[in-house]
Amino acid sequence: MERIEPIEAGGKSLRLVARLDVKGPNLIKGIHLEGLRVIGDPGEHARRYYEQGCDELIYMDAVASLYGRNNLLDIVRDTARHCFVPITVGGGIRSEEDADALLRSGADKVAVNTAATERPALISALANRFGSQAVVLSVEAKRRPGTAGKQWEALTNNGRDHSGRDVVAWASEAIALGAGEILVTSVDQEGTRKGFDVDLMTAVCDAVNVPVIASGGMGSMADLAALTRAASVDGVAIADMLHYKRATFDDIRAACNASAVPVRQVA
Amino acid sequence: MRFPRHVDIDFSEFSPENGNPSPRYGLRQDIQFCRKCVISNQRPSSEVEFRHNIATRKVTIVFDEDGICDACRVAELKHGEVDWEERRRRLVELCDRHRSKTGDYDCLVPGSGGKDSFYAAHVLKHEYGMHPLTVTWAPHIYTEWGWRNFQSWIHAGVDNYLLTPNGRVHRLLTRLAVENLYHPFQPFILGQKNVAPKMAEKMGIPLVFYGEHEAEYGNPRADFESPLRDRQYYASEQSAGMMFGGVSVEELIADFGLEKQDFIPYMPADPTRLSEAGIEIHYLGYYLKWHPQSCYYYAVDHGGFEAAPERTPGTYSKYNSIDDRIDDLHYYTTHIKFGIGRATYDAAQEIRSRDITREEGVALVRRFDGEYPDRFERENFEYMSLPPDEFPKAAAHFEQPIMDREYFLHLADRFRSPHLWVLDGNDWKLRKTVWNESSQ
Amino acid sequence: MTGVVIADYGVGNIFSVYHAFEAVGADATVTTDPALLRSADRLVIPGVGDFSNCMERLSRLGFRDEMLAFIQTGRPLLGICVGMQMLFETSAENGPTPGLGLIPGDVVRVPEAGVDGVRLKLPNTGWCSIDPPAPDTWRGSVLADLKPGDAMYFMHSYVPDVHDPADVLATLSFHGHRLTAAVRRDNLTGVQFHPERSARTGLSLLARFAAI
Repeated sequence: MERIEPIEAGGKSLRLVARLDVKGPNLIKGIHLEGLRVIGDPGEHARRYYEQGCDELIYMDAVASLYGRNNLLDIVRDTARHCFVPITVGGGIRSEEDADALLRSGADKVAVNTAATERPALISALANRFGSQAVVLSVEAKRRPGTAGKQWEALTNNGRDHSGRDVVAWASEAIALGAGEILVTSVDQEGTRKGFDVDLMTAVCDAVNVPVIASGGMGSMADLAALTRAASVDGVAIADMLHYKRATFDDIRAACNASAVPVRQVA
Repeated sequence: MRFPRHVDIDFSEFSPENGNPSPRYGLRQDIQFCRKCVISNQRPSSEVEFRHNIATRKVTIVFDEDGICDACRVAELKHGEVDWEERRRRLVELCDRHRSKTGDYDCLVPGSGGKDSFYAAHVLKHEYGMHPLTVTWAPHIYTEWGWRNFQSWIHAGVDNYLLTPNGRVHRLLTRLAVENLYHPFQPFILGQKNVAPKMAEKMGIPLVFYGEHEAEYGNPRADFESPLRDRQYYASEQSAGMMFGGVSVEELIADFGLEKQDFIPYMPADPTRLSEAGIEIHYLGYYLKWHPQSCYYYAVDHGGFEAAPERTPGTYSKYNSIDDRIDDLHYYTTHIKFGIGRATYDAAQEIRSRDITREEGVALVRRFDGEYPDRFERENFEYMSLPPDEFPKAAAHFEQPIMDREYFLHLADRFRSPHLWVLDGNDWKLRKTVWNESSQ
Repeated sequence: MTGVVIADYGVGNIFSVYHAFEAVGADATVTTDPALLRSADRLVIPGVGDFSNCMERLSRLGFRDEMLAFIQTGRPLLGICVGMQMLFETSAENGPTPGLGLIPGDVVRVPEAGVDGVRLKLPNTGWCSIDPPAPDTWRGSVLADLKPGDAMYFMHSYVPDVHDPADVLATLSFHGHRLTAAVRRDNLTGVQFHPERSARTGLSLLARFAAI
């Protein structure tokens, strides 16, 4: 089969990531991180996405802050037994011990948000112990009113509370502290199927020199193409399209190939 | 001075040592939490607000001998026994009977443009072929997103009458309701129940559809057997003995500078006129299985409804009842008086809808219930203040006409019931909580 | 297939490596006891994070000497990521830090700019296509089931600078630079990428390794 040359002579492709938000035993999905609907069994869905050829998996524990801890150990372990792509886990990670438990259970990276905004030193502690490549900053970004969609505030607690922090400044600070990657979720766009917050992703990509994964708002392949044309994101996290079965990874990969977005070729 | 700024409170009643604290408001001495949801047996049922004063003894939600509340039992019926196909047929037949052939409105849908009324009006129009007129009783103080959602509702395709009461009267009644009943939301509730029936009668639209059936969140379970709202809540023969803000109409006229016309929006409907006009107040939730979360999705899909950008204080939710800034205070006051905050109400509903587990509900209540609402504090206190130049007669009855936090919190303490609250040093704690059911 | 022993000296996603081998039907064991290396048929050395941290742990926990003894037996060893990097002479990470010196060359930082001068993002994280240095290089190796251009998952900021071209098993194209993706020298195989994270292509490598 002929190999399609990627646009950049870099050999690196856009990472197509399946994002699974979990509450208790359930895979859930909302709009603006609200109205969380039960979709089904997380492990089953993860396995299906792996078999369809996703590049990576992200698990976010949507109620972790409520219980003060991450509850995904069992799900992660089970997934790591069957799915051999990188797994990032976030939600309620507050200490090195929390991260260690997850990394020992099959996670490759841990994502921090709420705890990091309260105690930024957590990022350096994790980076020093586990390496920057294992530490992801998760940002829930909401447009600040009156800024014409050019400034964003970082929310915490699954989009429920304010941190007061400017997203771009916070991203830079977190990278300086040792985070090796950023997952940016647009609260305004997520679940709406109206496309990514391209300005947000561009602003973050321009500010940092680490990989950026864009999350929130993908309604169609055109949205993905529009995003990659405008912002140098390294990956996209997809949830709604997959969980509501509007597309499979084969569809997404085929569409990327058709619009010359470089992606991994799967036999 | 009718309303002193400070009233001495006997704090000994709230001592941890008080083994027999007496309940206020006619509430039950024993505190119990539903085994299935998180509501407590202190939850008051709907009040006939226009006769509500401080001596009113509350009717509370019923728990059966298995420790399960009426609302959960109704939910069981909803998910089980109720033949929704049959109910839907009855709705079709009701609509067929009322559907206009002469180009007129054929039903009235009261609402705010929130997710539930959005769904109600839209589904009646597009699935049941009706021609609804929507009517809105204005919130005390619109939130930005509440106003936008209201506009989106209209622009999704409905006619609407917005009735906004005289701001001065509404503020005065709100302040009085807070002072006498610690119930800032009363003026809103009065209109919410009265305006639609009266409007229906004036406009000649006999069929009125509210949304969710009130039996679903704790009004007497037997109510669920009927699609109709009990008339006593919105209609009354006798004009004697009416009270607003816990003050009689006569006193409001004599002492507070109001006149008879100021009460027009708040008065219950005349039952005779309602009967003659054939007005029927139905709950759409009797005919269609109501799922608030699904209403959210529906409203987003069909009309661009937006959840609030931040959660409401005292709860985790961003889409329940988000159009009125005073709402923040409403649930704070229910927490003070009944030990039940907004998170409890939201979680109880979501447990019954099977969107969350009881375990999660308990954790949510523990985390959010009773949180002090400071986000709109300044505006809300300004609203409830009665500067003498704006309220010359009324302000004279208040030692401190201008409301501030200290005043509001002192009032709170005057309304706490000793059987619910204990004062531990400087901290108020609930004697019993859903996350720790053994008494303090 | 015979047994694969995976050295657990406290770094690396041991859980995933173990289950990946299990998934391809290998008989895998994870051990924190260096003595078990002596009787292993095949040995896997994982590793992530800081190079000097990995080297230090390898020695302190007694794995270093056992590993060298194992290598003397000529039985196959697979180093993954930093596990591969440690086979070289030095690493520039916090360095120069000495490695085991088994393969001529040094570990250097991945270029921070492309050949066109454009600044790049590090770590290099994601799927990259790998190629054989010559058409037949992969025959009979752990990459025998792969086609040129197949992708593997990388997550690194450092990469080996191999002195003997014959040791290069696979390369990747990185913004105009050609970097070493995998090495092979005698019974040593090293991969910069993570086969346990590279879905089918990665699993095929592990299956091949277990069957050598």
